[in-house]
Amino acid sequence: MTTDVATVGPASRPVRRGLAHRLGPLPWVAPAALAILFVFAYSMFELVRQSFQYDDAWVGFENFSLVLTDPLFRTAIWHNTLLLVAVPVLVVLALSVAVVLYETRRGVVAYRAILFLPYILPIPVIGVVFGQLLQLNGALNGALDGLGLGSVTQDWLGNPQLALWTMGGVIVWKEVGFGIVLFLARMMSLPEDVYESARLDGAGFFRMHWHVTIPQMRPLVVFYVISEAIVMVSWVFNYVFVMTNGQGGPGTSTVVTELYIYRTAFQDQAPELASAAAVLLFLSTLVLIVGFFRVQRAEGGTFGD
Amino acid sequence: MNARRSVAAALSAAALLTTAACGGGSSDGQSPEGAGSPQAFPTEDVTLTMWWWGEQEAPGAKQWLADTVKAYEAKHSNITIKTVLQTTDGLIPSFEAAAAAKQGPDIEYFWGGIYSQQPYWSESITPVSDYIPADELAHYTNAALEDTYDGRTLTAPWYVNPQFPVLARTDVLDEHGLEVPTTWDELLNVCDVLSADGVTTLAGGVKDGWFGGWLYSMLGAQSVASKDDVTAAVRGDQSFTDPNHAEWWTRLEETREHGCWNDDINSLELYQAQQRWVDGDAAMTITAGTDAPNFVEKVGADKVTVTTMPTWGDGAYAGKMGTTSQTVGITSWSKYPQVAADFIMFMHTPDRLQAWYDQTGSLPADDRFDMSKVGDPVKKQLFAYAADGAPYLENFIPSALDSKAVFAGVQLVLQGSKSGEEAAADMQAEAERLRRTDRSLVDNFEGWTD
Repeated sequence: MTTDVATVGPASRPVRRGLAHRLGPLPWVAPAALAILFVFAYSMFELVRQSFQYDDAWVGFENFSLVLTDPLFRTAIWHNTLLLVAVPVLVVLALSVAVVLYETRRGVVAYRAILFLPYILPIPVIGVVFGQLLQLNGALNGALDGLGLGSVTQDWLGNPQLALWTMGGVIVWKEVGFGIVLFLARMMSLPEDVYESARLDGAGFFRMHWHVTIPQMRPLVVFYVISEAIVMVSWVFNYVFVMTNGQGGPGTSTVVTELYIYRTAFQDQAPELASAAAVLLFLSTLVLIVGFFRVQRAEGGTFGD
Repeated sequence: MNARRSVAAALSAAALLTTAACGGGSSDGQSPEGAGSPQAFPTEDVTLTMWWWGEQEAPGAKQWLADTVKAYEAKHSNITIKTVLQTTDGLIPSFEAAAAAKQGPDIEYFWGGIYSQQPYWSESITPVSDYIPADELAHYTNAALEDTYDGRTLTAPWYVNPQFPVLARTDVLDEHGLEVPTTWDELLNVCDVLSADGVTTLAGGVKDGWFGGWLYSMLGAQSVASKDDVTAAVRGDQSFTDPNHAEWWTRLEETREHGCWNDDINSLELYQAQQRWVDGDAAMTITAGTDAPNFVEKVGADKVTVTTMPTWGDGAYAGKMGTTSQTVGITSWSKYPQVAADFIMFMHTPDRLQAWYDQTGSLPADDRFDMSKVGDPVKKQLFAYAADGAPYLENFIPSALDSKAVFAGVQLVLQGSKSGEEAAADMQAEAERLRRTDRSLVDNFEGWTD
């Protein structure tokens, strides 16, 4: 390491930069910043404003109170929380497949393309296809019956005790491809000499990946965990909408926060309640985003090196 | 209805009075003027957009609408009408999104009752009675029953939907020595016999929710004295746990216990399930009245009996079929409401009424339609049911209560994870909650039903 040397030399003294120098980049980023400010800040302002109003009159926290006391909203939040269980499943699955592909090498390009395919399929297509496959008398149960596994067959989407987990399974199927490609790309850029050393030291398959690969992948795994957690909290609307015809059923078994907001705004015609729920969802997502940036900073600001 | 809306209504009424001399409009190619419209028929180029639904339940509607637009445009060379067919799940949300932005269609399709009231309460539509004369509207079927608020007709009925006929396959029932059930006990007996033989009695699908609303209307109507009982429960003057409102849930539970339905009812959409009946895998199903003749034709009229839901209650509507009219309304942001109104009246001209029947086989919502021209016995029977029909209950509860309590409750009761009693309690809880969240609900319902 040469860090100590670098910090004692004259060149390492902090350079005092003038105000003009610091403001130099401003003109270059101003147009984009203004566009973001208009699109994002204005929308947020309107959303927050509406969440405190009813029929154009200020009502304080009444809308938030009504939303928070709505059993359906609490159910929706709980379902988003349950879907977070899919995140560790995704990480383990993606890492395992990536390691296997990394070790196999042969045909890796083809396998990678096949595994990535679900990720690029449009969610409505996935929803319609799985909606058919998972019917009580659908193809999946037909196949299970054919294999003599009739006792395993279920009404995957029609049983309220199972529907959310089935939905989680479909989400994992689609999202795992992203993790595999991400992890595999990182593994392929890891220095070979570290593995050589580990092998010379007698590390076996599991020990080598547990002690060499995964530690080096940590920042990327954290990134994947947080991005998938955000998906589970605020990006599962499409799956639920398409697979349950916008109902979140059976009963309320697959209602998630986004669907709650959509239905409140556009079916129940209560935009002020939808706004309050959206603000609450935004705040919970913000916690994850802030967490992400804190971790990023702790890791030195990068996720690749 | 809020104070702001009342002021607007008062101003509109004043405008109506001052312009009443304009007289009635007509679609005669001259410059038509509405009932109270201060606007003259435009001479400049005008493009109207119409968002509609209905091909799904009245096949042939798309062609009829295309022909009607073409004929109207031929009469008015400066008018262009663009039509956009909506999906079932997207009909209401897409309009709500348009209403929030105050831009979108000039003419919008609405189901009757609450579906035509709510957009008026949220100031998204202008009453058609502001532009269509009362003597013209008087011919529109169910307008007074479902689509009127405080003396103003909000949307214009287009076609009548008898809701909902039960279609029974006599060939399937005969095979098992059964007859078409007319009472509840007979139905449960049919269910017992057929389920023991591995045959589905009633084919249905509740995954998309809509069928739940149908069942509420067909079963729930049998124990109320009138639709006013339902609106009273919405307002809080009655309770959805009272026996006259709650007992239908228990009847629904009985259908599950007796194995009446296909086992995959929760994972099928309504239209998917109806195909089972066509294929001969079920003895009975329930369809939209407008679509029933097509289903009968697929199976053969000699094998089908068209009937009503077997009776269990002794209310005024027991044994009757519901009747509702699907409607069109004029959006509050339309720049040419008088043209929209004129087009709606054109839809009701004798030639268009007859063409509607010829092309869709369903009943236009206009008493000027010549019923003597209906020869098909199935259609004749359906139209007779509709003429003597009961109010369609689902149209008299808020749509939020429908989707959150009825759709969801029916799914859970039929799946077996909730009892009828629990579902009734849920419906009451949801109604109470709606009265808190929709702070205009009670006033709006009072204005509607007074």
